[in-house]
Amino acid sequence: MGEELTIVGKKVPRWAAFEKATGAARFTVDFKLPEMLAGRLLTSPVAHANILKIDTSRAEKLPGVEAVITFEDVPNKLFNPNKMDMCLFDPSGELPDMYVLSDKARFVGDKIAAVAAINAGVAEEALVLIEVEYEELPAVFDSLEASNPGQPRIHDFAKNNIALTFPCLANRGDVEEGFKEAHVVVEQTFKSSKQHMCQMEPTTCVADFDASGRLTIWSMSQHPFLHRRKLAELFDMPVGMIRWKTLHIGGGWGKYGSFVAEPVCVALAKKAGRPVKLEYSREEDFRTTETREAHIMTGKIGVRKDGTISALQNKVVVQGGAYFTHNSNATNVAMGCFASLYTCPNVYEIADAVYTNIPVSGGCRGYGNPPAMWALEQLMDMAAEKLGMDPLELRLKNTKKVGEFGPANYALETSTFDDCLRLGAEKIGLKEKRGGRREGTKRYGVGMAMFMHVSGSIGATQHRNVHLKFNEDGTVNLAAGCVDLGQNIHGTISQIAAETLGIRYEDIIIHTGDTDTTFFDQGMHASGGLFQIGNATVKGATELKKLLFERAAKMLEAHPEDLDVKDRWISVKGSPDKGVSVADVAKDAIYNYEDDHNHLAAKGSYSPEDNQPPVGASFAEVGVDTESGEVNVIKLVIVCDVGRAINPQTVESQLEGGASQGIGYALTEDYTINPETGYLEADNYITYKIPGAADMPDMEIIQYEKPVSTGPFGAKGVGEAAMVPIAPAIANAVYDAVGVRVTDLPITPEKILKSMEAKREKI
Amino acid sequence: MKKEIAKFTINDRPYELLVESNVTLAELLREQLDLTGTKCACGVGECGSCTVLIDGKPTLSCSTLAIAVREKDILTIESLATREGLHPIQQAFIDHGAIQCGFCTPGMIMMTKALLDENPDPTEQEVKEGIGGNLCRCTGYVKIVDGILAAAESMGKEGGR
Repeated sequence: MGEELTIVGKKVPRWAAFEKATGAARFTVDFKLPEMLAGRLLTSPVAHANILKIDTSRAEKLPGVEAVITFEDVPNKLFNPNKMDMCLFDPSGELPDMYVLSDKARFVGDKIAAVAAINAGVAEEALVLIEVEYEELPAVFDSLEASNPGQPRIHDFAKNNIALTFPCLANRGDVEEGFKEAHVVVEQTFKSSKQHMCQMEPTTCVADFDASGRLTIWSMSQHPFLHRRKLAELFDMPVGMIRWKTLHIGGGWGKYGSFVAEPVCVALAKKAGRPVKLEYSREEDFRTTETREAHIMTGKIGVRKDGTISALQNKVVVQGGAYFTHNSNATNVAMGCFASLYTCPNVYEIADAVYTNIPVSGGCRGYGNPPAMWALEQLMDMAAEKLGMDPLELRLKNTKKVGEFGPANYALETSTFDDCLRLGAEKIGLKEKRGGRREGTKRYGVGMAMFMHVSGSIGATQHRNVHLKFNEDGTVNLAAGCVDLGQNIHGTISQIAAETLGIRYEDIIIHTGDTDTTFFDQGMHASGGLFQIGNATVKGATELKKLLFERAAKMLEAHPEDLDVKDRWISVKGSPDKGVSVADVAKDAIYNYEDDHNHLAAKGSYSPEDNQPPVGASFAEVGVDTESGEVNVIKLVIVCDVGRAINPQTVESQLEGGASQGIGYALTEDYTINPETGYLEADNYITYKIPGAADMPDMEIIQYEKPVSTGPFGAKGVGEAAMVPIAPAIANAVYDAVGVRVTDLPITPEKILKSMEAKREKI
Repeated sequence: MKKEIAKFTINDRPYELLVESNVTLAELLREQLDLTGTKCACGVGECGSCTVLIDGKPTLSCSTLAIAVREKDILTIESLATREGLHPIQQAFIDHGAIQCGFCTPGMIMMTKALLDENPDPTEQEVKEGIGGNLCRCTGYVKIVDGILAAAESMGKEGGR
């Protein structure tokens, strides 16, 4: 490095933007095969029931129906749809507790049966003809209630519905001693919500067995290779008998880190002997698929007189829903983030994963970190108030320094927390605006929250590969097994390849989405894509450049180490008139019949040796209407240390998008479940309200660049970062405005009015 | 199901199609004609992804029966780019990074066309209100609004299109 960069750091068009802008991009939901059948799901209308009988005979007789499947047609094998057990070094944490189709209903929306028919209309008609006799059982929906003795048991093995109790891996010191040292101690229970991913493309999968029995699957998976292995184990197939393809994907945010439609779709295609496309309606997507991890956290913080944190404690009840999925991993991340944002010698955290008869929680953008910060960053403000210290000062007292450890357990190479905090405070006008301007019924306030996330996960296979080859015109095919769900990983690794090779962005032709023609990639999660695949690309492109230079050196009668390449032209250092085009060298490698035909191709493999976290702070200015309780976010400032922005426009849009999901999480996205029936009431975009254009505040995104030596060109991962601090920053701003603290998400007008009422009564 | 032969003008081309009475316009476009640029994210008219123009007016194709728009002039996302190149709205969306996963993009672009045909020089607030019914989960709308304002400017310079 050190040299001037020509493609990295530049705003170039995103991958596939042209196809997406013209409507030419094909998504899974657009995909068709000849003879393809339409698949539809039958889900449970009751929250908890034994299935006494399923009669499919009438459905099977309906003309056009090709297959009806129930629990009898799927592998008699418990599994966990989350892929983490395929990549973890110690997979014992994620419990297998689910069948592809169930013989017992554990929530409204549990998968009971499925149909494949010549078209969707016939399939839907057939669903109505399936007769299921349910023996309803008492159900429990509240995670705190569920672990009391005498409650209905949801899984036989889980006494008091506790699936697993596990401590935080970062527990340290002695919290009792720590709290004794503290000048102030604050304890508070916080509840986070089951945010729904709301990816715009409805969940869809296509499965097709060929005449030899080989399965090709087109799905929205974020982990094609891990899911291929998982599917092979589930259906007792050799991995090589499965080809996993991905098309354009309309968002995911962790939903497709689990199987969603795949196992049912495969079982349907197997029985029907024809390709099947299983498509979920939006209502089914809300009801049946995984949501964000949701936690009830009793957090406790001890702060010494000088403002340093002496102890942190967090007792977590995981609102996991009816099946386990990501409960172990997402909660471990939550506890790890709670333990590691600030310097603190004494930490104790423990979690109970509790079953209830509600839809399943999984892992969503931020994966445990947003609920953890919802608690921690409010505790910080509460402690600051009790101590009589400015909340900004309290944070500055406790930020981590170089050499201390981040959540992924690697020593921090840089520490930019203080810079991010000060910069953001200045941009929002924290000092001037604090304390609540008043205007009629409106009160205004400002608040902040800090964050640190990861650039990949730990304790797991993070293996990544790319391969590259030159065509005779100097273009390069870059093949990678990663998945682009809209985050532009394909574009940013193309920039990295072009920069490393000294050619242009448009010279890179990317090939992805096929397990047959790309090397293993562990998939998209934990903001690890750019950091890890970017590093694999640097390695592969550097190797390819070496081969290019070796051949060019022969042609130029020079030494490879004396060569330089820039904008498709290879020159000899110190001899400006001596040079050859990249294209001519690439052509020579293929068409020079006298020579050794050593094709210019290389592979880059990477497994993380490090993981530098994105860090920063967000600041919110809000207006609260004291009559209606409505919160209006006026301005958001997000300062994020991104290492280096490979494509600043892409980074900015990741942070803006994360912020919008954070605003929804904070204020409007309410996954309301009927407390009597367990029925999800928010199963559409009207009742489950995600932000629209008019809900977005003025946003100021500051990309703070301090490159790290282990990132590709210094970059860190930023996919999840901005989602993490928004809700607590808004909550702290609301407190600044009206003096009440809403501790359970989302912060609705009703809760604000109720809290204000309670406060008035106290006075 | 009752079937009828109906005529449409779709993307400036004449069609004569056999249409079942319960088929929506989105189904007709996507399944019968393989014009899959038009997307359905919710299927019930809540998200705007399926927006097409019918006689120039933005319409939710998932909630419109095909037979009800017979004889009409229907424009989908596939109509905007020509041999001469991209429509200025498409170009502006690409330039401003207004596209992430791209699933809401066709509906968003068609809504923008309707908005700018009606109001060639909108304010930022008018843009935000104009696309108020089109949901996007990726972008936070900032770059979409930037793109629309830039498109308005470039179309204004070109004298409209």
